[in-house]
Amino acid sequence: MRPRYKRLVDNIFPQLPQDGLVKSNMEKLVFYSLSSPEKLDRIGEYLFQRASRDISRKRNGFVVIAMEAMDQLLVACHAQTLNLFVESFLRMIQKLLESTEPDLQVLATQSFVKFANIEEDTPSYHRRYDFFVSKFSSMCHSNHSNPEVRITIRTAGIRGLEGVIRKTVADDLVENIWEANHMDKILPSLLYNMQDSKYYKDETGSPEVEDKNDPALLADACIRELVSRASFGHVRSVLRPVLRHFDLHGLWVPNSFAVHTFRIIMCSIQSQYSYAVVESLMSHLDENSDSSPKIRTSITHVLSKIIAISAEESVGPSVLEVINSLLGHVRMSASKVSDTEEAQYREALIGCLGEFTAHLPDYQKVEIMVFIMSKIPQGNSRDDSRLQLMLLKSLLTVGKRYTNIAMNTTFPVSLLDPLLRLCLSGGIDTALMVQGILHVLLDRHSNAEKLSRPTLDVADAGLAFEPCSRSDTIFMRKFGEEIYTCLLEILSLNDVTVECIESIYTTLALIAVELLTAHTITAYLTMVYSIQEIALSQNNSLSFPRRYNLHAVVAALLVLVPEIMQIAPLKEYAGKLIGERRSAGAAHLLPELLVTYPGEVTPPAFQIPVNLLVDQAVLGECLQAAGLDTTVMTRSLTHRHSWVESTGVTMRGSVTDLNSTDVESANSTPGLPRKYPEEELSFEAMKRVLADSTEATKEEEKQKREQLFNAFRNTTFKDIVNNNTVRFQVVIFI
Amino acid sequence: MEDYKFLFKVVLVGNAGVGKTCLVRRFTQGLFPPGQGATIGVDFMIKTVEIGNEKIKLQIWDTAGQERFRSITQSYYRSAHALILVYDISCQPTFDCLTDWLREIEEYASSKVLRVLVGNKIDRDDREIPTHVGEDFAQRHNMYYLETSAKESDNVERLFMQIAAELMEQARSKELPRYDINSQNINRRTTTIGDSCCSRSS
Repeated sequence: MRPRYKRLVDNIFPQLPQDGLVKSNMEKLVFYSLSSPEKLDRIGEYLFQRASRDISRKRNGFVVIAMEAMDQLLVACHAQTLNLFVESFLRMIQKLLESTEPDLQVLATQSFVKFANIEEDTPSYHRRYDFFVSKFSSMCHSNHSNPEVRITIRTAGIRGLEGVIRKTVADDLVENIWEANHMDKILPSLLYNMQDSKYYKDETGSPEVEDKNDPALLADACIRELVSRASFGHVRSVLRPVLRHFDLHGLWVPNSFAVHTFRIIMCSIQSQYSYAVVESLMSHLDENSDSSPKIRTSITHVLSKIIAISAEESVGPSVLEVINSLLGHVRMSASKVSDTEEAQYREALIGCLGEFTAHLPDYQKVEIMVFIMSKIPQGNSRDDSRLQLMLLKSLLTVGKRYTNIAMNTTFPVSLLDPLLRLCLSGGIDTALMVQGILHVLLDRHSNAEKLSRPTLDVADAGLAFEPCSRSDTIFMRKFGEEIYTCLLEILSLNDVTVECIESIYTTLALIAVELLTAHTITAYLTMVYSIQEIALSQNNSLSFPRRYNLHAVVAALLVLVPEIMQIAPLKEYAGKLIGERRSAGAAHLLPELLVTYPGEVTPPAFQIPVNLLVDQAVLGECLQAAGLDTTVMTRSLTHRHSWVESTGVTMRGSVTDLNSTDVESANSTPGLPRKYPEEELSFEAMKRVLADSTEATKEEEKQKREQLFNAFRNTTFKDIVNNNTVRFQVVIFI
Repeated sequence: MEDYKFLFKVVLVGNAGVGKTCLVRRFTQGLFPPGQGATIGVDFMIKTVEIGNEKIKLQIWDTAGQERFRSITQSYYRSAHALILVYDISCQPTFDCLTDWLREIEEYASSKVLRVLVGNKIDRDDREIPTHVGEDFAQRHNMYYLETSAKESDNVERLFMQIAAELMEQARSKELPRYDINSQNINRRTTTIGDSCCSRSS
């Protein structure tokens, strides 16, 4: 007599397979297996053997019934006893998957998914899913001649993979699904099902509405689930096959699918790891440095589409790493042969940089600007200047996204200094680019457009401005001269262009709008006057038209200042001066700026009648009439020589005799530093230096005192007054 | 309990259109499907063979030859027990690519994998690669060599049976000493299979 469990199993099968599972007998079997769970493994084994026999005899109806019975047992069983049964259950599924019948394969997958959805307390650690991953992946690529069957099999494959992922991903001790071996199968299979579908191109349609059985949508959901479970270490193992798949299937150009895929990856990945995706894509760009610019451009576009999502999560060094890597690519590209495609690639890189920084907080933007600045080469070779321009362009892109609140945070010394230096060392193109950056950063009230070229109609321009804050005033007093010096120097360059003059006008006008206060106006007007001096100076070799341009800039700025500061006398004076220029037929001394002027209106630039020029004394009177604080005025003026000197314009008394003797300079102890190179750094040496220095300094001080004494004794009183009384100086120069 | 004694994974590789799928179909289903389309990704077939009263189950993974599926096909090499490298004897380029395929195999497959070189389509009249060239190549690279025709069913059975036998021998030699009793028997059989058209060089 056969054992009871065998009889119970046999009874669930009907005479004819069409009749289906014998329900009442099935209940008996379930009841039996619940009451004696130790028999479960034998029941499973017996069912499996029966089904195997039926498969080989092609009696598929009975196979389906056996599978159904197993499903029911699986659901009915308690978790503790499940392990006994699962072995034969999975063997059964494998058996069905091995069959060439699509129906059986689909059936097996359904059962597998049911199994995958059961949460096991103690999954069996020796259970292997190798075969399932391989087979389901293979099913995802089904090429069945009947399209409907093909889709059914592919769908089943995707669901199966999803099941494997669900089953393995949560527990470290079961099969490691993140191994390259599995990932290399799973991801290409999923992507393959997504790439040909058009669903991702329809951005508006919500996926819920569409067919639940669409392989593409299933694959999409599956990737999301997989990625959302990935820990940091796994991100790479997910992305490597993805990137490889895109390479092999040529999915970078066009890149709509790549963009879609990376978007869903970015959206589903745990946000703290999102920058790892950016990093991976970035390093993929590194690997592709030899591929066509088109591919690189495409990858960069993908990068810029997703980079924004990660920017919010990026912190500290990873931000600079991303930026550094992007700049590295810019540099690499700058050294390559330049054609339109390469240029597009560079544009894409810079766009990407902009996208990335746009989402960073402002303080980080400043950091990034400083960082980019530090990467700009100072050299003058052709490669260098191309790179300079590219990097400045990047800087401009970042600057555009930045909201300036306080000047001293916007322009840290580490940004301002090199920027100004670059202005002078680079060519006119570089200077122009730097002006663009200054415009973007200075322009807090969107006036740049209105001030893009010199104009006399500022009153109608509708400039927006508000009183300058205290900290900005301090900034201006600290760095104003430095900025002016630099700009004036560019204006006196021989090869300065109209465009460049206009753009410097914009910079100066923006400074006026944003930063002009009672404390800084004197320095500003002095600077304006200096522009006229450059135009008149014979020490530079500016062409006549450029000199006219400068006069026009002076006029335009002179009109602008009282507009902002509301100084009536100055406004009057500016109006009068312009009127005189007009009536004297000197339109070339007023905006618009022209590249060349018609011959008849070009009298030599040095023979302009005095009444058409800005008069320093009158400027000073205007300011005094407005009751401006003269001590501040003088402060800003005493330092004037520093830039007047460098522009090469000689101004009377601006270089003092006393300064040339350098008696007050604290650096004038030449004996001390010279000692260091000869001495080795030992204790004795230090001691010697210290002992020596006191005597040396004493000697030094004595000499200095003598010099100072002599200087005052031998110079005339007038000279001393001239050089040391600042107030007097103001009266003379303003 | 199980209906087989050994389970071996066999993977077929080679250029697109050399007849990998036809070889598998011929062996597993006994058909030669005319106008067989290109395989996508990986196809899977199973066949149980019997060698000396032992049932051996062969899991046959038939890979796509197209370059774009390389990433997924490579992942199947890793767990393979045997790799069948197929070329078309009437198509020189498929032969020229063999070195590339070998490089791939070196990189992705296990070093102990059994490698078999197969020149397919011997039914065709426009042969471009003479038998000895294929044989030489196989010898140089330490592979078995066999020429087949999936269409005429020449050597197809033999190819897979031989692989099954060889793998079984390998498996047995690693197993417990109790199998030593059979070893002589197996060796004898292997030599009979590996005659004339089959040269093993090592």
